[in-house]
Amino acid sequence: MGSKAAAITSPVPVTWYPTLAIFMLAIGLIVSASFFIYEATSSRRNRSLAKELTTGAVASFFLGFGSLFMLLASGVYV
Amino acid sequence: MLSPVLHRHCHLFLVTGRSEDSRGLGSFQDMARSISMEAAGLTLAFLILTFLTTSAASSTNQIQILNAERRIDLSSHIVKVFLTLKVENVMTAPASEIVLAFPPAQADHLALVKAQAAIGKKKKKSYVHLDVNPTELPDAPNGTKYFSISLLNPLSSGETATLEVLYILTHSLKPFPAEISQSESQLVYFRDSALILSPYHVKQQTTFLKTPSTKVESFTRVEPTKFAGRELKYGPYEDRPPYSFSPVTVHLENNSPFAVVEELLREVEISHWGNIQITEHYKLVHAGARHKGVFSRVEYQSRPSFSGTSSFKHLLASLPPRVHSVYYRDDIGNISSSHLRSDYRKSELEIEPRYPLFGGWKATFVIGYGLPLEDFLFESPDGKRYLNFSFGCPLAETVVDKLTIKVVLPEGSKDPSAAAPFPVEQRLETKYSYLDVVGRTVMVLEKKNVVPEHITPFQVYYTFKPIFMLAEPLMLASVFFLFFVACLAYLHNDLSIRK
Repeated sequence: MGSKAAAITSPVPVTWYPTLAIFMLAIGLIVSASFFIYEATSSRRNRSLAKELTTGAVASFFLGFGSLFMLLASGVYV
Repeated sequence: MLSPVLHRHCHLFLVTGRSEDSRGLGSFQDMARSISMEAAGLTLAFLILTFLTTSAASSTNQIQILNAERRIDLSSHIVKVFLTLKVENVMTAPASEIVLAFPPAQADHLALVKAQAAIGKKKKKSYVHLDVNPTELPDAPNGTKYFSISLLNPLSSGETATLEVLYILTHSLKPFPAEISQSESQLVYFRDSALILSPYHVKQQTTFLKTPSTKVESFTRVEPTKFAGRELKYGPYEDRPPYSFSPVTVHLENNSPFAVVEELLREVEISHWGNIQITEHYKLVHAGARHKGVFSRVEYQSRPSFSGTSSFKHLLASLPPRVHSVYYRDDIGNISSSHLRSDYRKSELEIEPRYPLFGGWKATFVIGYGLPLEDFLFESPDGKRYLNFSFGCPLAETVVDKLTIKVVLPEGSKDPSAAAPFPVEQRLETKYSYLDVVGRTVMVLEKKNVVPEHITPFQVYYTFKPIFMLAEPLMLASVFFLFFVACLAYLHNDLSIRK
């Protein structure tokens, strides 16, 4: 081998995994809490499907990434 | 191939013979014609014969070995033989390869044959690696197996060259007696030839055998033979014809640990999120003289220098530096008798199986560890990614009968290919692991008869689009989203029986 080949690393620094996991899961749980509070407090006529879906989407995004980083931080390298 | 030439030669002789008979009639023209025909016939035959001898590439008459020195190291159960050959080309045609011969029984146990040429003299000596490939010669006596060394520059007529060959034999020390008790020492037979088997004429040769201890029960004498201290010397022998063989048997004491791994399965799982996980499954056996009788733990522990001299209880595994999460367990559970010492260059894992291993005893265990991705995964100039990992068994001084390395490539990898410095069997498999939909491609490399000299890097190339890494978190996010949609569906639908 002539020149030193470029080493491939993970797209996110490995030392950030626990911090990212905690923050993303926290935000995801807060947003999903807001979703369920909206469902519980609003009456059937005032409900807006768009607001529900967006809240659900944002919550699932943060929960999804948060759970991925939680898996990576605990050693399950998926 | 020779017979048509001989027929033609005889035919020419017959033709010339007839002319010779007519010479007696006294015709001058007949005499001239007969002489010229005879000369033509003879030159034609000579040309054909010389063409045949030069066309046979590694003809046994072309090379002559001026001096051969063989040093056989019997200190451990892996027999290492260092052969120094000084060869000379005695014919006119240049020689481009030298052929090594091995008896068929030895060739089955050959793990490795390496050759290098010495260039320069004394202080400026440097070594150049030469290619060694198995080859076949048409007239092999008694099933001899051959390896041919390709020289860098063809050897011209009269030129000499010095080659250094290393070959390694496994399972070549046969324990005799085959069964020993706990307090006996292990004695083994080593069978070889006092004369180096070669397809060439050897002018002078000497063989040295290095034994692990001064105790040698018996050895065959092929004069001149000398045994002093730990060295047994056969030779020097002068002017031996090709394929000369003189079997000798040396009965020596060898208490080095006969650690043989019958099967080793190494799984290397690559995760682009920053980790390489290695899992190694070992089936270890003590391949020396079998243990007979009872095993007395009291005797073993009270007199360690007398009892269990051929047994071993520690094994050292050399792991790469920056290793983490090392575990050592077997079917029962975790084995706590292990020590890990690491520095910036290497890590050493010293493992102690649950019991010391005596002859014929087996131990099955699993060693696993993780390594950082950036130490082993690289990007090649043509855009492919490759894993640069070391082949072989991390355990020191062990022979592996069958080694299987499975490299599990991440999901979404395409075009896998492997490059190894020696021939290995390759195939592909699929493995389903965490968060897998289509499965992960597994590159399987297999090799038999692996020795510590095989611990060299190998590469596995594949292509991977980084966007595929998003598949995993998006899969998790979509599961959560489906949960929310299900909640919405439940809350929006009125399932009450009574309005």
